[in-house]
Amino acid sequence: MGPLVTREHRDKVAGYLDSSKAQGATVVRDGREDDVYQREGFFLGVSLIDNVTVAMDAYKDEIFGPVLSVVRVDTYDDAVRLVSENPYGNGVALFTRDGGAARRFQFDVEAGMVGINVPIPVPVAYYSFGGWKASLFGDNHMYGPEGITFYTRGKVVTERWPDPSTSTVDLGFPRTR
Amino acid sequence: MERISHWIGGKSVAGESGRTGPVFNPATGEQTHEVDFATAQELDAAVAAAREAFPAWRATSLSKRADILFRLRELLDQRKPELARIVSSQHGKVVSDAMGEVQRGIENIEFATSIPNLLKGGFSEQVSTGVDVFSIRQPLGVVAGVTPFNFPAMVPMWMFANAIACGNTFVLKPSEKDPGASLFLGELLQDAGVPDGVFNVVQGDKVAVDAILEHPDIKAISFVGSTPIARYIYTTGTANGKRVQALGGAKNHMIVLPDADLDMAADAAVSAGYGSAGERCMAVSVVVAVGLDRRRAGRQDR
Repeated sequence: MGPLVTREHRDKVAGYLDSSKAQGATVVRDGREDDVYQREGFFLGVSLIDNVTVAMDAYKDEIFGPVLSVVRVDTYDDAVRLVSENPYGNGVALFTRDGGAARRFQFDVEAGMVGINVPIPVPVAYYSFGGWKASLFGDNHMYGPEGITFYTRGKVVTERWPDPSTSTVDLGFPRTR
Repeated sequence: MERISHWIGGKSVAGESGRTGPVFNPATGEQTHEVDFATAQELDAAVAAAREAFPAWRATSLSKRADILFRLRELLDQRKPELARIVSSQHGKVVSDAMGEVQRGIENIEFATSIPNLLKGGFSEQVSTGVDVFSIRQPLGVVAGVTPFNFPAMVPMWMFANAIACGNTFVLKPSEKDPGASLFLGELLQDAGVPDGVFNVVQGDKVAVDAILEHPDIKAISFVGSTPIARYIYTTGTANGKRVQALGGAKNHMIVLPDADLDMAADAAVSAGYGSAGERCMAVSVVVAVGLDRRRAGRQDR
């Protein structure tokens, strides 16, 4: 899977393993125990944290590293509420065999890009990429049709060509009927 | 140490600010390049080149623009492995992952080749006696892209493909962590027939970004990065009268319902959580396990 981009970033990511343990989560796999961590490059092994709660830093922050958190909830409604209450709204995915649940999910969920049994639902180039909430500032999503909208401005031309037989002076507001 | 410089008006321009940053190969920890950091004056030179190129580029026919984009698509397709290797050596993602990034970027060039169709307007005949109305879409002028380290080839292609297809000219400020891909793209655009000045690259840090935010000739800014910076780009850019789209961070939840195919879900969580070392804005960072404890208890009862 490759290293992280800088040593500083790698160490910051690894710090979440310590903070979540201190905050009561279960570190199932600590990527610092892998051999790759000792190499010269900026590697961190895959890391997994279980029993994460919304109060923990590992949940609140965008870690941007090979650290996966598991949050356990009882019901579908609890899961959707987590996503709705999160300040970000970029991507989200649902894994299920139930088409009705999937349909309800795409109706309910507060995010800009939704995957049903697809974990990374990056839209193809002829749709547009963009999240909701703190994941996007602005009115247009990126690339695709909304990219064309973003990079152009509209102009509307109203025109007629001289026809002496219908030309008169009219000081009233332009009418259409 | 090899230097990575600016690309202005169709040629490489060495930075003169005296400020530079290191570029590492993250897999070995070694510094491989030094990247120039632009001053506001150097950014201004790039904007001037873009402004000068705009009238002729805007007047270039849609067929000709599409033709150039088709050629760019072919060149990128042929030289994909080279670009992927540059991405891999400066970002750290494995070459197969970098190939995927380049491919998804190329798909934006392919979309932009249909620009004659995409720019079609509407027409209403006889809205009043002898009067017709139609709508057209016109380019903005010089537009800028500020792009993140995690997709140094794909995200610039998200932006410049459509921007230049619409008739704008473009100034790119790539991430200073892996800036090599931007110059490769600059040369390839030139080889494809994009006129000099239509696509420019300015390397740098916050100094260059602030110069973009303040430059009166830049009409729009596309940004991808973290939420605090996205908010800053949006509020500052719009306050300066620019059109802005600023994409920020994410916390992508993957919800696993009790009836899911757990093998499929586990494979997906590993792929989406750890691919590219989790440095994707669409990476899954939270798996939400719904009612798994109850499901296990139910099985035990049986």
